[in-house]
Amino acid sequence: MKTIKNLYSYYLVLPALLIYCIFFVIPAFAGFYYSFTDWRLDRLTIDFIGWENFTKIFHDKTLTLALKNTLIFAIATVVGKNLVGIVLAVALNMRLKTRNMLRAIFYSPSILSILVIGIVFTPMLRTEGTVNRLLDAVGLHALSQAWLTDPSIVIWTIAVISIWQHAGFQMAIYLAGLQSISQEYYEAATIDGAGSWKKFTKITLPLLLPAININLMLTLIGGLKVFSEVFVLTGGGPGNASQVVGTIILRSFGEGSWGLGTAINTLLFVAVTIIAIPLLIFMRRKEVTE
Amino acid sequence: MNIQKKRMTTMIIAGFLSVSLAACGSGGSKSGNSAEGGNGGSGGASGKKVTIELAISKSSQDSAFIQQDLLDEFEKKTNIHVNLQLIPAEQTTTVLQTKLAVEEAPDIIQYNLASATTDLNLERNFEILDNEAWVSRIQNKDVLSANGHVYSFHVSQDTGMQGVVYNKQIFEDLGLSIPQNFEEFLQVCEKIKAGGITPVFMPYKDAWAANIWPAAAFADFAAKNDPAFFDDLNSNKRKWSDIPEFKTFLQQQYDVYKKGYTNADVLSDSYDMAVGKFLNKEVAMMFMGDWLIEGVAQQDPNMKLGVFPIPSSEGASLGASPLGGQLFIPKKAKYLNEAKEFLNFMASKEIAQKIVDSKGYVSNLSDVTTPALPEYKQEIVDNYITPKKTVLTSDAYMLVDRSELYRLLQDQFAGGLTPEEVLKAWDEKFSQLMKDKEIAGF
Repeated sequence: MKTIKNLYSYYLVLPALLIYCIFFVIPAFAGFYYSFTDWRLDRLTIDFIGWENFTKIFHDKTLTLALKNTLIFAIATVVGKNLVGIVLAVALNMRLKTRNMLRAIFYSPSILSILVIGIVFTPMLRTEGTVNRLLDAVGLHALSQAWLTDPSIVIWTIAVISIWQHAGFQMAIYLAGLQSISQEYYEAATIDGAGSWKKFTKITLPLLLPAININLMLTLIGGLKVFSEVFVLTGGGPGNASQVVGTIILRSFGEGSWGLGTAINTLLFVAVTIIAIPLLIFMRRKEVTE
Repeated sequence: MNIQKKRMTTMIIAGFLSVSLAACGSGGSKSGNSAEGGNGGSGGASGKKVTIELAISKSSQDSAFIQQDLLDEFEKKTNIHVNLQLIPAEQTTTVLQTKLAVEEAPDIIQYNLASATTDLNLERNFEILDNEAWVSRIQNKDVLSANGHVYSFHVSQDTGMQGVVYNKQIFEDLGLSIPQNFEEFLQVCEKIKAGGITPVFMPYKDAWAANIWPAAAFADFAAKNDPAFFDDLNSNKRKWSDIPEFKTFLQQQYDVYKKGYTNADVLSDSYDMAVGKFLNKEVAMMFMGDWLIEGVAQQDPNMKLGVFPIPSSEGASLGASPLGGQLFIPKKAKYLNEAKEFLNFMASKEIAQKIVDSKGYVSNLSDVTTPALPEYKQEIVDNYITPKKTVLTSDAYMLVDRSELYRLLQDQFAGGLTPEEVLKAWDEKFSQLMKDKEIAGF
């Protein structure tokens, strides 16, 4: 046994470790440092300024709006992507003739480039665009909206587009989870007289928990880090109505406030960690084994 | 085990060392390159070829200063080869900021003077050119200067005008004349609308486009009623929201939209649609710079467009944008003298005349004559420049990044902010940015 254990020397980890240090660990720690400095485009020196960047962040109205938008987006997409994903997975786990084709169709949006989605959806969501014309045509004129230009709904529109794009990916993970559940449980439950809803809540859901966990984590972290969807659809507009933390970071760098931008980035990193890790631990505890 | 641990640590340290050495090595090879170039430089005097670097945005490739025949002529005459560094348009600012910060400065940079003041830190990064020979022949030094020094070079003084770009044919057909105040402007809009044409195209998905009206209106008001305003503003003695007329101007632009004189979806339409809208005669007017007229003329030379001042108040002046596309020499340029020689070459009477003729510029050199201009430009010269009825837009006075102001203006059209709130919010952001820039008074 011992010889097998030592077959590969620890040294073999060195190249990977080095690359990881140089391209991730060192820049990350440098980032922490720079978020406490006044690093700016037009300054010759970089000075330590303590918490000043962070107090600035919480006094900036646009930034608090961006934090709110980021949370709305994260929560809406976590709920949406997982609900839609699980429903699709359960439906496409049944023995349908078109099953494989449907799976491919629902998965396909997630392989599209976000730029393509931006170009396709922007004209569709204009006030006289396809979506509103469709609503008018079926007599739902009351529902037509300025989807991307009304400040009160724009972040929700972006969330729905993101759900449309990524729910198929979540579906794929759920499908894998479903296929690892043995049919025997369902047969036993049928003999015991359980209905399909009972089977879903008592067998499928508990045994699917590992897949649910990974999906919740992925969608939550993705939601908090949102940038590209907002950037291609509205650029944070109209005005600042759809700014999220990611676009604010870009804006700060654009203004030459590099220290401030790094501080916002650090804050995002800390927030993602604080939210994600306890959730991970909590969900892990709930997992059951077959 | 202990030995193994020791070995491991040694290996890690050795690994780090080798990487740091490798880094040095690559740095070394770079300095090797520059040494090579340096040799060429010292040889330049004795007739060997020198290569200077000129950095320019890809979107400025039509610049007169980088036309191949001129570069060839320069090389033949001086034995200095000009190597072009084309930078992707959307990254130009960042790339130049980085190059200047890490001491990899090119020898010459083409950029806009006004943006260089806010983005590239003129005093720190660029040579003052006051003592160059060509400066004595410059007629309008303002378009090349900042903080009282000449920092840049150009043969043109045609700054580009901003106002209401309009279709002359439509005005003629409907028997309209140029409105002299806001009331008349609304009447003109009403008549165009009655003629079945959209009076004004507002592409305010691009937030900057919403700034053309206020930038000209603010500057016109300040120049006529309150000449000290921008100085006071930049020393924190007064604020944007202090002038009630500014609110009126913002309200005016919004009223044009609210009264239904524009495209329906102002926040979804973007600037790149403008040329098409004019070519199709879908729209009659737009608040824009005269560069749009050139863009339309390239597609259809028969389209007759003109420009008149933003009619924010009685007899307003035409807005002039700050001149763009100047050449700068970084302080850290490797071949400072050769770069200056390049400017001398471009400023020489013969070459400057060639450029001015081919580009249709208004010459800025006393011994170079301005050629016959396109009709719309000649009109601008006759009606506005010669009688001195132009005014530098408020953009020219701003020392900080203006994109937040643009976003606030856009927000006004999204229904999120009143004119008063726009100015208040901009005051806040403005003073924050000025403070970050360490401007006295903030």
